[in-house]
Amino acid sequence: MKPSLQAEEWVDKYGDLLYNYTVQRVSDKGLAEDIVQDTFLSAWKARETYKSDASEKTWLFAICKNKIIDHYRKKSSSPIQYAEADNTSNFFDEAEHWTREDQPNEWGINYQQPVETKEFYSILEYCKKKLQDMQRNVFVMKYMEDLSAEEICKVLNISSSNYWVIIHRAKLQLRKCIELNWINS
Amino acid sequence: MSLLNISCKKATYLVSKKEQGRINLFDRITLRMHLGICSLCRRFEQQTGFIIKNTKHTHTEEKLSEEVKERIKEALESS
Repeated sequence: MKPSLQAEEWVDKYGDLLYNYTVQRVSDKGLAEDIVQDTFLSAWKARETYKSDASEKTWLFAICKNKIIDHYRKKSSSPIQYAEADNTSNFFDEAEHWTREDQPNEWGINYQQPVETKEFYSILEYCKKKLQDMQRNVFVMKYMEDLSAEEICKVLNISSSNYWVIIHRAKLQLRKCIELNWINS
Repeated sequence: MSLLNISCKKATYLVSKKEQGRINLFDRITLRMHLGICSLCRRFEQQTGFIIKNTKHTHTEEKLSEEVKERIKEALESS
């Protein structure tokens, strides 16, 4: 089989899968396309070293996952102090109690049951994209990639206390956004 | 007594530490006391737990455009 044919087959077979995976984890579509292209290029160059005991799909996804984490890493190659503005300061009043506008309201759903509506997932995607960059990166690495807090701090070059502040703010924002767009709509 | 009283801001912060298994005994006790009397923070814990649980099971089906697929194929062939 000619290598060029195989390249075409690869893209047809795995292109959409890799893209769907990536677009859920980064902020925009153009970036996701670049990461997928990069994944194929790296895999293509390394195809001689590919061992057939792992499935081709698993192998490509492992490369893709590393590309995504590399993308996060690039954004903070030198040590940084977490500096995004606090976009949750209005959630609590001076006594640090919930404000009326931002307090959690009853959703009227069974929290134990899996979500069956597609609507929820598209709203979740929308709300993830609305997070600040660091909030989204930390949230994705923790809850989609299952990295440990220590690994995340290392990749993003942040302190452990920064990590907990970012996770906290990400959850406050996500919960609020989902309530506004899913429950109240 | 005031030592054991924590604010909603602090309580919601501790909810994440608890959820990731990184909470110390003292914080665990103060959080439990707070959640015992604060229905808003109980809701926060429930709802964020629900979001996290459903984060991995995304059902989106985004596709690459034919244009981008062609671009990638060309890049592969010329590499």
